[in-house]
Amino acid sequence: MRLAGKKALVTGGRQGIGRGIVEAFVREGAVVTTCGRGPRPEGLSDNITWYPLDVTDAIAVGELAEMTGGTDILVNNAGVQVEKTVADSTDADWEAVIGTNCRGVFNLCRAYIPRMPEGGSIINIGSISGKVADPSMALYNASKAFVHGLTRSIAVDHGPGIRCNAICPGWIETGMLDAGFDLASDPAAARKDALTRHAVRRFGRPEDIASMAVWLASDEAAFATGQLFTVDGGMTAASPLNPGLF
Amino acid sequence: MMLDGKTALVTGGRGGIGRAIVSRFLREGARVYAADLTPQGSLAAHDNDGSVFVKLDVTQEADAIAAMEQVGAAAGQLDILVNAAGIEIEKTIEETSLEEWNLSFAVNVTGTFLTSKHALPLMRKAAADGTSASIINFGSYDGFIADPGLAAYCATKGAVHALTKAMACDHGPEGIRVNAICPGYVDTPMLQSFFTGDGSGAGGKTIDQLQQAVRDVHPMRTYGTPEDIANLVNWLASDEARYASGQLWVLDGGLSAQVQQMKL
Repeated sequence: MRLAGKKALVTGGRQGIGRGIVEAFVREGAVVTTCGRGPRPEGLSDNITWYPLDVTDAIAVGELAEMTGGTDILVNNAGVQVEKTVADSTDADWEAVIGTNCRGVFNLCRAYIPRMPEGGSIINIGSISGKVADPSMALYNASKAFVHGLTRSIAVDHGPGIRCNAICPGWIETGMLDAGFDLASDPAAARKDALTRHAVRRFGRPEDIASMAVWLASDEAAFATGQLFTVDGGMTAASPLNPGLF
Repeated sequence: MMLDGKTALVTGGRGGIGRAIVSRFLREGARVYAADLTPQGSLAAHDNDGSVFVKLDVTQEADAIAAMEQVGAAAGQLDILVNAAGIEIEKTIEETSLEEWNLSFAVNVTGTFLTSKHALPLMRKAAADGTSASIINFGSYDGFIADPGLAAYCATKGAVHALTKAMACDHGPEGIRVNAICPGYVDTPMLQSFFTGDGSGAGGKTIDQLQQAVRDVHPMRTYGTPEDIANLVNWLASDEARYASGQLWVLDGGLSAQVQQMKL
């Protein structure tokens, strides 16, 4: 059990990648608290603490940090996406995406860093979209680049006591991915096309990201800090050109 | 005229991109040595553009030494070196013979090494007056992300990127700047060869359809011309770029700024 004796907080643990990380941490022996907007999700096992939280609310985040003092591992996973260009984005879109993906991560880091024990590990969920652009995802892409920059700053400012890294997932089988394919004129064809662009010929699963998070949270990763770890099935290692062309 | 009074040598100087660089340098007032295997290079004909042809096989150290002796005797110094000679083997590692692998490295990596090594004494002379000399290597966007079936090419370009930084580190204090240009798809004989393969097109598409499909993947909806590349080479060669060194300059119409373009 690689996380035995450690206390973890994972934001956005209701579903998808966050839920995968929560379950993997518990299997590795961590005491896990997770949070999200709304009531405790169905099927969350009893040994996991649920806390209703909007990460954009700095006061509520501060209260949670007080209650969960001694947290060794902070995973900033909560995030939202809005599928629009800059020209189409509204002020409300800005508030939603930048509020959660940027201010939310900042709120959590600011509240937890002063209370984090020596050897603490912060893991932010960035994105491949913070390095190369997904079309019509302008605010989301930019918000993830913010997360990447903040990750490096925290590593530099708060080492050696605290390590901070980001995981950049590619296309993971979650509700967010299905929502993307549903926009296609032929969702089945779009899914097939997307698969051919992955060297491993499958999309990611939440557990693929969770296994990276476990490693980064563990003491095996004691020399890893300030870095972006891409887990995308090889997609961004390949040129954006259509593989069917050649 | 941005390069007035400067002396430049361009390897692969009779090929697609090289010829555009030579022509631009001449227009900017430089004295230009176009180094290549033959005067027509990879193009069909030789055009008498006012450059001095230097026979240079970049894989041969004796050729590099002789070329620099020729430049030294006539000009006394070298302000600008462009390592544009390159080859592309269109194969996976399994299909690539050891001979093809070695040839890829000999031209793309060893060639850059040998030409630069023997140019250094002349470039130090150019930098002696306090104006930096400039080496411009040819990397590729394929040195960052892979196109299928170009394994040795991708590997050589990754090597050129690292070599560029190493040379910039070592020779910056002597007043020599070193940068690499990383082109994406540029309309050259090399690209046409990539498109046509055996001349029959690919995936049931005609060459025209294939080229249009490739253009459409680019945010700029076109691929580059040799002149687009020469524009940046010219800037990096000029004194305006006096603080630019050790960098990899991607010029690809936005191609690699995107996540793969799913057909949604």
